[in-house]
Amino acid sequence: MKKIILIIIYSIFWKNFLKIFIGLKYVNEKTLKNKKQFILIANHNSHMDTMAIMSAIPSRYIHKVHPIAARDFFGGSLFKKILMRYLVNATLIQRDRDDPNNDPIDSMDKMLKKSRSLILFPEGSRGIPGVMAKFKKGLGYLIQRNPEINVIPVYLDNVYKTLPRGKNLILPYNCYIKFGDPIKFKSMEMDDILLSSEKAMQKLMK
Amino acid sequence: MNKIFNSVNLIPEIQWVIAIILAILVFATILFWFWNRINPSNLVDEMQLRTRSWWIMCIIFLFASIVHPVVTYLALGFLSFLTLREVYSLLNLREVDRSVLFFCYLSIPIQYYFAFKGYYTLFLIFIPVFMFIIVPFLLVLTGETKDIIRSMCILPTSLMLGVFGISHLALLINFPEMNSNGVSGKALLLFLIFITEANDIMQFVWGKIFGKHKILPRVSPNKTWEGFIGGVISTTIIGCLMGFLTPLNIWQLIAISSSMAVFGFMGDAIMSAVKRDFGVKDMSSAIPGHGGILDRVDSLSTTASPFFHLIYLILITS
Repeated sequence: MKKIILIIIYSIFWKNFLKIFIGLKYVNEKTLKNKKQFILIANHNSHMDTMAIMSAIPSRYIHKVHPIAARDFFGGSLFKKILMRYLVNATLIQRDRDDPNNDPIDSMDKMLKKSRSLILFPEGSRGIPGVMAKFKKGLGYLIQRNPEINVIPVYLDNVYKTLPRGKNLILPYNCYIKFGDPIKFKSMEMDDILLSSEKAMQKLMK
Repeated sequence: MNKIFNSVNLIPEIQWVIAIILAILVFATILFWFWNRINPSNLVDEMQLRTRSWWIMCIIFLFASIVHPVVTYLALGFLSFLTLREVYSLLNLREVDRSVLFFCYLSIPIQYYFAFKGYYTLFLIFIPVFMFIIVPFLLVLTGETKDIIRSMCILPTSLMLGVFGISHLALLINFPEMNSNGVSGKALLLFLIFITEANDIMQFVWGKIFGKHKILPRVSPNKTWEGFIGGVISTTIIGCLMGFLTPLNIWQLIAISSSMAVFGFMGDAIMSAVKRDFGVKDMSSAIPGHGGILDRVDSLSTTASPFFHLIYLILITS
């Protein structure tokens, strides 16, 4: 049931809306086609980012892909929670790691162990367009615990212009969503992981 | 669905044009295929890409224009929308202009509604009179005056090019004076598009073969006097040959087709200068081999309204 809802919302509605009306172009989205499980890391400037990425995911396993969202921002009311759970397929996590029973890395790790895929915005929140903020360490911990999973960089080029931060009006704008190839990490050191992911992202930005 | 197909009643002249267009496409495809076999080069590759895009554009256009008038209106309105989107994506407008952009997009359905209903006066004045006052005022309402002059100039002008010009194509289809006494608006539409695009191609071909003396050296190095004059002459000849689509006599045909060639050249030159200012070669990569939507419709947006009004003048005075 959830799968059908998600397919109607993303693979049919959002995909066509973004393609025809907004003017979004998908670059190299076929790289997702034969991968069962992956972590997508993307730059984050707008709420449209999640919609754009979800619309590019093959409908066959769209129900197994979860965008990660901050609980303090999206989990405010019950209505919002239900919306996020069923219409965005999101997993809400704590932003900080104060509570050991509710560690965000643990909950993401659990999802991966259940062979789910994740969409992460490693900058932490919606940043300044065109400027890539330093990636948070959480990404590194997650990859260290699951070194065999494909990490695919996604660059959203100008997607934020369709719905900039603080605006409510969605307007058309010719923009791109670019998928990279899975990142190859030299070692499982924290610095190495973050550096290679940031470099893969910079490469897509050009 | 049946209703849509039943309403297709093609006069023999239009059937002829469709046959001619398809014959040219087949000829070009075969020519470039052999050329590529004998003497491959980058130019031939580009020509093949362009021909392939022409196939798609012609099929979409023919489908949209012969099926049902409503489909034609929707397709032309969508063309206007694509043009505006391309312009606004390139222009680096201020973020406060977003709400005004919404009204610019909104003017597309209004303008095409007037064309559909045949409200001639409203159609004519909506953009040059009303939008030219409303859009700057809406910009004032945003409260941000820094760089407001740029937006005040760009937004109405973009409507003029992208909506007002192209919507004249739609007005041709069922405008009363254009659809009586043996005159067919659809045939006129086909005639206009055919000679405008033929002019583009002819200027390109003549320029490529004989081009020596640059006409606009600082704006567009591809435009030459040889291409321009050869284009105007061949467009005039093509216009006279296609004259069976129109109610005009031979002198009127020569006058109309040669002036369309000049207007098409002007549209092309204007967009070249705009692109030069942006520092891009093509507006976008929407049509393989051709560039963006606006790279293809730039000449149409400047020929459509002069063509309509010249024909209108001829028809009501004769």
